[in-house]
Amino acid sequence: MEPLTLLSLIIFLPTIGALGLYAFDKKAEESMRMFALAITAVTFGLTLFLLGQFDMAQGAMQLQVSIPWVPTWNINYQLGVDGISMPLVLLTSLVSMLAMMASWSIKEKIRGYLTLFLLLETGMLGVFLSLDFFLFYVFWEVMLLPMYFLIGVWGGPRREYAAIKFFLYTLAGSVLMLIAMLMLYFGSGESSLTGGQNIFDLLKLGEIAKAGEFSSGTQVVAFILLFIGFAIKLPAFPFHTWLPDAHVEAPTPISMILAGVLLKMGGYGIIRIAMPICPYGAQYAAYALVALGVFSIIYGAFAAMAQTDFKRLVAYSSVSHMGYVLIGMAVWKINEATGTTVNPNHWQMGMAGAMFQMLGHGISSAGMFFMVGVLYDRVHHRDLNKFGGIMQKMPFYSGLAVVIFFAGLGLPGLCGFIGEVFVVLSTWNFSPLLAVIAASGVILTAGYILWTIQRVYLGPEYKGPHPEDLTPINGRETAIALTLIVFAVLMGVFPYTFGLQMMTPSIENLTQSMSTGYETLHQAGSEIISMSQP
Amino acid sequence: MSPDIYIETGTTLKWLLTTAWLLPLAGFLIEVFGGYWSGRKSRAAAFLAVGCIATGFVCSLIALLTWLDAADLNVSDIWQNPRAVAAATHEVSEATHVDHEHDADHAADAEHHGDHEHAVPAHSEEEHHGHAAHGNNPLKFAFNGTFYTLAKFGRIQITLDYYIDGLTVLMFTMVTFIATCIHLFAIGYMSDELTESYEDHQVHLPGGKHFHRPGRFYRFFSFLSLFCFAMLGLVLAGNIFQVFIFWELVGVCSYLLIGFYVERKSASTAANKAFIMNRVGDFGFLIGLMILWTWFGTFQFANTNPDQTGEQGLFQMVRTDAGAIETEGEGLNRVAYMQSATGEHLLGNDGQARRIPYWLLVVAGLGIFAGCVGKSAQFPLQTWLPDAMEGPTPVSALVHSATMVAAGVYLAGRFFPMFTPEVLLVIAYVGAITAFIGATIALVVTDIKQVLAYSTISQLGYMMLAIGVGGWLAGLFHLITHAFFKSLMFLCSGSVIHGCHHEQEMTKMGGLYKKMPITCWTMWIGVVAISGLAIPITLPYLGAISFSGFHSKDAIIASSLSFSTLNPTHSLLFFIPLITAGITAFYMHRMWFMTFFGKPKDHHVHDHAHESPWVMCGPLLALSFFAAFCAVGGESGPLANLLLTSEPTHVAGGVQAAGELGLTLPSHHEIHECHSQAGMMALLAALMGTVVAYLFYCKQAVDPALVKARFESAHRFLKSKWQFDEIYDSMFTRPVHVVAKWCTGFDREALDRFLHSCASLAVGIAQWDRKFDEAVVDRIVNVFGEVTYAAGRTLKGVQTGRLRQYVMFIAAAVVCLFVVLFLFLPR
Repeated sequence: MEPLTLLSLIIFLPTIGALGLYAFDKKAEESMRMFALAITAVTFGLTLFLLGQFDMAQGAMQLQVSIPWVPTWNINYQLGVDGISMPLVLLTSLVSMLAMMASWSIKEKIRGYLTLFLLLETGMLGVFLSLDFFLFYVFWEVMLLPMYFLIGVWGGPRREYAAIKFFLYTLAGSVLMLIAMLMLYFGSGESSLTGGQNIFDLLKLGEIAKAGEFSSGTQVVAFILLFIGFAIKLPAFPFHTWLPDAHVEAPTPISMILAGVLLKMGGYGIIRIAMPICPYGAQYAAYALVALGVFSIIYGAFAAMAQTDFKRLVAYSSVSHMGYVLIGMAVWKINEATGTTVNPNHWQMGMAGAMFQMLGHGISSAGMFFMVGVLYDRVHHRDLNKFGGIMQKMPFYSGLAVVIFFAGLGLPGLCGFIGEVFVVLSTWNFSPLLAVIAASGVILTAGYILWTIQRVYLGPEYKGPHPEDLTPINGRETAIALTLIVFAVLMGVFPYTFGLQMMTPSIENLTQSMSTGYETLHQAGSEIISMSQP
Repeated sequence: MSPDIYIETGTTLKWLLTTAWLLPLAGFLIEVFGGYWSGRKSRAAAFLAVGCIATGFVCSLIALLTWLDAADLNVSDIWQNPRAVAAATHEVSEATHVDHEHDADHAADAEHHGDHEHAVPAHSEEEHHGHAAHGNNPLKFAFNGTFYTLAKFGRIQITLDYYIDGLTVLMFTMVTFIATCIHLFAIGYMSDELTESYEDHQVHLPGGKHFHRPGRFYRFFSFLSLFCFAMLGLVLAGNIFQVFIFWELVGVCSYLLIGFYVERKSASTAANKAFIMNRVGDFGFLIGLMILWTWFGTFQFANTNPDQTGEQGLFQMVRTDAGAIETEGEGLNRVAYMQSATGEHLLGNDGQARRIPYWLLVVAGLGIFAGCVGKSAQFPLQTWLPDAMEGPTPVSALVHSATMVAAGVYLAGRFFPMFTPEVLLVIAYVGAITAFIGATIALVVTDIKQVLAYSTISQLGYMMLAIGVGGWLAGLFHLITHAFFKSLMFLCSGSVIHGCHHEQEMTKMGGLYKKMPITCWTMWIGVVAISGLAIPITLPYLGAISFSGFHSKDAIIASSLSFSTLNPTHSLLFFIPLITAGITAFYMHRMWFMTFFGKPKDHHVHDHAHESPWVMCGPLLALSFFAAFCAVGGESGPLANLLLTSEPTHVAGGVQAAGELGLTLPSHHEIHECHSQAGMMALLAALMGTVVAYLFYCKQAVDPALVKARFESAHRFLKSKWQFDEIYDSMFTRPVHVVAKWCTGFDREALDRFLHSCASLAVGIAQWDRKFDEAVVDRIVNVFGEVTYAAGRTLKGVQTGRLRQYVMFIAAAVVCLFVVLFLFLPR
């Protein structure tokens, strides 16, 4: 299949499916569900096919397509995958499929729900596949709207509040991103590489940055704007308070998507846009980024410990876990005198750790939210102090849940471990102090996860309402949980085969390009300084 | 060894040990899923688990023999010729070899009257050749290789490796053997789980009823299998990162097994405590890993491939061939050079010699040791181990005495080349303090398993102490012997508990020796072994007449005496273990007497007590045989000789005034010199402890209650376990919860409030905007409209419909137009 057809089909198949839903009778809910599930499954299959076409040994962008969209402004319909986006595309289609399977718990306004769900998937896949800044921005906004309605219509009691909070937060980020985008767009016209044209092409913009043709001032400002925009999505302290509310109010499958995929967009944005286009800005802010990441880890873990709502606890654990992503990307140590990168391999390891953490968290947090959802569907409450003894009532479910929670805890052999430990190991090279603080997170994480397991699953008997509804986990739910566990184990045991292998070459390219870009500006800067001195 | 043979043997060993390692994992998977879907009354899971681990034992045994063969040793060598291994590894020529044997015989004959002069030949060798020449080369018969790669970044990579030397195969054999015994024992011990409705008497439901649940026989065995997998993986690991992986995995198995009775709050709390305490240690472990990774760029222990391909391992980088750390500078400026394979300085990419600040090396060592502190329940993280006794007794025997908790000692021994003298000193003090604290608390506890738990803590302290004072052999020797006798004693206590229908309080036992003779006398073997009692007569080749614990404890005391002689400021490191030896003998005999002798204190318990079935007694007998005889020959016996093959190079010759503190570590020779003296003192201490215990608890010449009343406050202090739990609770647990509350409070009160005020500000502005809109903008528009409207309304009057009036208007207008035209048009 042609790359253009394949990539477009991956992005727009869910949209076509959403339209197809209107061929069904309004009452044919079951068939519409099956149809939507089939669409997500086919999309997942297509991404697997894409993986087959993908050459893992290559670090460069592959399967690129570019068609002029708005030629006057050099906006292109430009798509492609590399080792950074490929795993996230797979994660998105997988989590979407599983979340669709989990959507049987949604009972009202099915058609609207499924439509929005599928549109959301289009938005997410578009974000990960687009290589044009404008297109990226469009997909970014496309994904926002369905999410707003999915939380606002199918959510819990405070759904309007949560939906608006989510929407406004993200929109604020988008505005900052828009400003930065225009800055770079107009800045690119001054570069010698574009022939006086203003462009939105992310790869080209990266090349300009590599050649050092964005001034350091532009880079710093643009980076900060972009970073805040993406940090809201990540979310990093202090931009995280939308997350607990959104998660608590969103229905289970939407929580899975939110934690499993949407948070990764923040990390992806930083690694795909902010860092390669503004290497100078990234280096300028590196210490702040790592410090913010470390703070998020500790803060999120502490906050998780104090929660009494099960979903809120998992939401805060996401804040804590995404801190590692921020750290891993930013552990870029340079030699102050020469501007060269110190121990580039350690930085690559940190970045690979950050990427792996995103994938691992995509699996484990989606799993955790799903596991909470299974309980919520039965007893309709989430108060941690009113559980207990679930292990007695639902032993198989509890066993699966414990495995998934251990994946979140970062147990070796499961997906959470590799990311966390790689990030922490690579941090000492950057800053021993921050590395030590980040490492202390392992104690807190163990604390809140084990305490949760104890309060919910262990103990002699269930203490909350509707004990008679605690029926064993059904086949559909088992399938979702087992799939997640299988991926968690595979990624934990064979991290190289299932993840690192395809990321490493791209990460190497990225770090090299950034180092070059920084070094060029650094040398130019030092020349200016030496010239100004007599 | 030629590369061909190296590869061939290495592959054989790899597959044997990998089989032994992975079989329990396969067993776990089948047991956990199969067990869930099959009935509760099937013993199949147990048989499968036993089959897996027993096959593992056979594989390990074959591996042990293969390894001995590859290392040019055969069983009789190790058995007969003291230091044969050392001699063989040093390639002493055949002629001298024979001479030494003669020497050995002479010396042994001549000194039969002494206590236990066993390693004399070693002296003569050392005297002949000097110290440096006699460092053992542990890498010579070590086999390493890679299973597969976890990650690769440029020139650095993280892999799953194996590292097989004498210590590895010995640990494998020991672990699989003890695990097999314990699995068998557990078939009997856990048999009351073979039911659809198990009544748990320790869980009280509201309404005064007991808790009922289906039995979990299969789950127990699947967890045991998972544990065996993790433990063997830890031993097989070829790099420190891999050790960390399995370190955490044994931790989680321990969590699952401690919390096996999930419905008991005490059990799940104990499990959490164990895991979190271990994580505290692992935090340190991680710091150590970070330093090593950043500075060395590798995690491998050593690269032993004879054709010198591949990168150097950590041990080879940090120490020269002679086993010294090459340093330069003083204080914080001191740096250590890294060594290359050719015995020169390792060069970095920039052509400069690669160095690491010495203090970072110290911190790295302390970090790794922090991991050992957590896992081996050393001061100050010892408090989790007694609580871990909430798990079923076979678990306590396997996980919390013989294997997992000893993993810390194993790692300290394995990682010994990376430890600088400063780190060793810390290890020694931590070990000594732990040994003392554990022993003193064991004096007052009355739960039979708790006594054993505190004794485990204390004995682990001994091992750490030995390693810290440079007695590498003594520490690992004690690790092996302790594994046998402590697992034996735990199983005996399990047998007692099983026989007394889950009664654990010794105050309710007494007089059980007639009811359970096998348990009683096998336990006696363990008690004598741990106390270090012996008959001071030396036999040729066999050493003193004693059980295993005597030899190893003796070696530890000798090492510490030697160390404190060489470093007089640290003489506490000798007196503490000596006193502790006496206390140990006292509390172990106290336990034995209280349980099996005296008058029955609770007739209900006594009347229903019975000896355990053969599936439980068989393992007791097997273990007691090894507890008694595994260390036969003492430090020149086969076990010690086997261990010596893995001894790091720099241990044998001792270290002179090394490091920042100028510590001197004793050489084999120096340790041996004070052996008889130390042995006598230790024996005396043990005898005293035994006699006092006999007088107190068997003869009842003194009433323990009186002594207790006399030292009321001390007793209370010990009973509250030195108040560690209270201190930790107020220092850490509660503050953490407070900070957690602050964090959520900050989210709600600061961040969200800020957002909400932003929102209400926006709403306020919007409302103001609306008012402005209504009052100003709209008003203006309205005014316009109104004016227009009014104008229209006024003009409406003109529209009368009368023709004449219109004509008049037209005429008037025409006139006006003309006037205007005439006035304004330019002419």
